[in-house]
Amino acid sequence: MAWVAARYAIRSVGRNARRTALSVAGIGIGCALALFMESLNRGRDELFARMGALSGAGHLRVVPADWRERRDPRLRLADWQGDLAAARTLPGVTAITARARAQVLLAMGNHVVPVEMVGVDPENEPRTYRFVRKVQRGRYLRPAEKGAVVVGQAVAERLRAELDDEILATAVGKGGRIESAMFRMVGIVSTGSEEIDASICQTSLEDLGRLSGLDGAGEVTVILDNWRAAAATQALLAPRLAAGDQVLTWSELSPEFAGHMEQDKAASRFISGVVLLIVLLGVASAQLAAVLERRREFAVLAALGMSAGRMVWVLLQEALALGLAGGLLGLALGLPLVWRVARHGLDFSRYMGSSFAFQGVIMEPIIYGDFGIWMVPYVLLVAFGATVIASLYPAFFAARTDPAVALRVAQ
Amino acid sequence: MNHTIVVTRGLTKTFEVGQQPVRALRGVDLEIQQGEFLALVGPSGSGKTTLLNLLGALDVPTSGEVTVLGECLTELSKQQRAELRLRSIGFVFQAYNLVPVLTALENIEFVLELQGVGSERRARSRQVLEELGLGDLAHRRPNELSGGQQQRVAVARAVAARPKLVLADEPTANLDGENAEILMHMMRDLGESQRMTFVFSTHDPRVVAHAVRVVTLVDGQLAGDEAKPGEAPHAIVPGIGKAPEPGGA
Repeated sequence: MAWVAARYAIRSVGRNARRTALSVAGIGIGCALALFMESLNRGRDELFARMGALSGAGHLRVVPADWRERRDPRLRLADWQGDLAAARTLPGVTAITARARAQVLLAMGNHVVPVEMVGVDPENEPRTYRFVRKVQRGRYLRPAEKGAVVVGQAVAERLRAELDDEILATAVGKGGRIESAMFRMVGIVSTGSEEIDASICQTSLEDLGRLSGLDGAGEVTVILDNWRAAAATQALLAPRLAAGDQVLTWSELSPEFAGHMEQDKAASRFISGVVLLIVLLGVASAQLAAVLERRREFAVLAALGMSAGRMVWVLLQEALALGLAGGLLGLALGLPLVWRVARHGLDFSRYMGSSFAFQGVIMEPIIYGDFGIWMVPYVLLVAFGATVIASLYPAFFAARTDPAVALRVAQ
Repeated sequence: MNHTIVVTRGLTKTFEVGQQPVRALRGVDLEIQQGEFLALVGPSGSGKTTLLNLLGALDVPTSGEVTVLGECLTELSKQQRAELRLRSIGFVFQAYNLVPVLTALENIEFVLELQGVGSERRARSRQVLEELGLGDLAHRRPNELSGGQQQRVAVARAVAARPKLVLADEPTANLDGENAEILMHMMRDLGESQRMTFVFSTHDPRVVAHAVRVVTLVDGQLAGDEAKPGEAPHAIVPGIGKAPEPGGA
C-alpha cells in the first residue's frame, strides 16, 4: 500500500489552511444545496405519485388488452374477479378495487349534463379514489345499495339538483339500445376543483351494469405501499391475469402527468447542476493554484522517478480528502435543513392557492422533503464526484510537469 | 574492475529563450566510470546543470547521444526515463527540495515506496539514516532541520535505493563551509563504500578538492578533464546528526 503517498496527499490538503477552508466551505454549501434540492425532488415525486395514484389512476391498473389504443369505456375485462383475486395476493398491495365506466346523460327537469358514470365497489372505492372522501353534503354510497348516485358539486349545480332528488340517467345499452334508469342523489362531493367536480358521478358496479347492459368491470385499480415498486409489481401481476387483460403502471396510464413530473425533476436537477458547476469551478481554480505553487515539488518528485499516473493519483487522493471534508460539512449543514423540510414541509399555497388541479389530479400545496439514509451516500458521492472532477485538470497539469524545465525556472 | 556507466557523444542542447536560440552544450564527449567521484566545474552558464539534466534522463539532447547504464536515453520514452531515474539514478538538488509535509524518514520512505519496496521500506529508510548519522532527525520535518541537515537527508534520500549513479547540482551552494565539508565527506564515503558514482557540479574550490576527477565546461564545451587524488575521506564525519543550529545554514 502507498501509505507515504497517502500521507503526503492528506497533509498537502492542510498546507494552505485558508484556501482549504474556503474550498471545503464551497463544497459543503454546494452539497447542502444539492441535498436540499434532491430531498425536495424525492418528496415531490412521492407527493405527485401519491396524488396521481389516489386521483383514480392507481399505481397499477388492469384493463382490457385493447383499452390503451381505443380508450373505450364500454370495454370490459375478460375475468375481472379473477384479476382482482390475482392482484390481491401480490406483496405491497394496500388497496384494490374494480370499476366500470359508461358515457351517460344525466337529466333533471330540462337540465341535461353529459358525464362519465363510474360503477364502483362502495366499500373499496374511497381507499383508491381520494376525492370521494370529500362528500360535502349527504353521504357516500353504501355496499349493496341500489339506485343511488354520488355526484360532484359542479354536476349537481348544472342539473340544479339537490340531495335526494331523482335524476334520470340515459346510456347506450348493449346492441345499441337506449337504456334509462332513475337514480337518487345521496351525496355531493366538493374537491375544490371545478374540473374534477364536473367529472364525478358514481354508482354501484351492479347498477351501472344494469343501465349499460354490460356486466362486469372495465378496470381493476391497485394501490401499492411503495410507488417505486410499480414496475416490479406489474411484472409479477402480468402473468397471473386472465387472457385478454393487461396491467399498466400509473406512468403508462398518465404519460402527460409522468412527463410533467420528469420535467419538474429535470429542471430542479439542472439548478442543482448549475450550483455544483459553480462549486466545481471554484475548487478547480483553488486546486490549480495549489498545483502551480508546488510546481517545483512536482518537478523534484518527477526527477525522483514518480510516474505521471502516480502523480495524478496522489492529487486525486488530495481531492478525495477535500471531498470528504466538504461532504461532512455538507451533511452538517444540509441535514438540519432537510429534517425541517421533511417534518414541516414547504408551503407553496401562497403561490398556488390551497390546491390546484393538473391533468385531473389535485395537487396539495405543501411539499415534504424526503429524509432518509440515502442522504449520506448521496452527499458523499456528490462531494467526491465534484472534487475529483474539479481536480482532474490540475492533476493532469501537474503530471505534465517537465522536471528539467520546472527546476531550471525555479533556479 | 571499473566499467563505463555514462557515455556521451557529440552531445548538444539548444534552448529557445524568447526568439533567441541559446546553445547550452556544444558537442560534449564524455565517459564516466563506475565509482568515480567527479566534479563538473565551470562558470555560470557553462552548461553544468544542462549536462547533469541530460545524464539524469530529465531532459533529452538536441543532438548527439547519451548512454547511461547501457540505456541510450534518446531511445527511451518519458515513462521509461522516469523508470530509469527511479531504479538507477539518485538526485541531490541545490535547494534541498525535501517534501515539506513529510518527515526526514518519510522523505526517504517515499522514494522506496515509489520503487515498490514493501513492508521493509521503513526499516531500510531508518537504516540509511542511521548509517549516515541522521537517526535522531528521522521524525523531523524539513522546516525543523538546518540547511546542512536538510541536504544530508536529501543525500540519504538520493542513495536510499542504492542507485548506481548519483547526480548533485551544486549541492553545497546553500551551505556554509563546515556543512559543505560534512556533506562532501559523506558523499565521498558513500561513493567508496557503496561503489556509487557521484557526479556533482560546483563553483566551490573547497568542494572541488574532494573530487578524484574534475571536468571543466566552458561555453558548453569540455575545456578540461583532470584526474586527481582528492582528499582522503574522514573516518568520523563531524557534526552529522546534531540538532539544528539556530540560524545555521
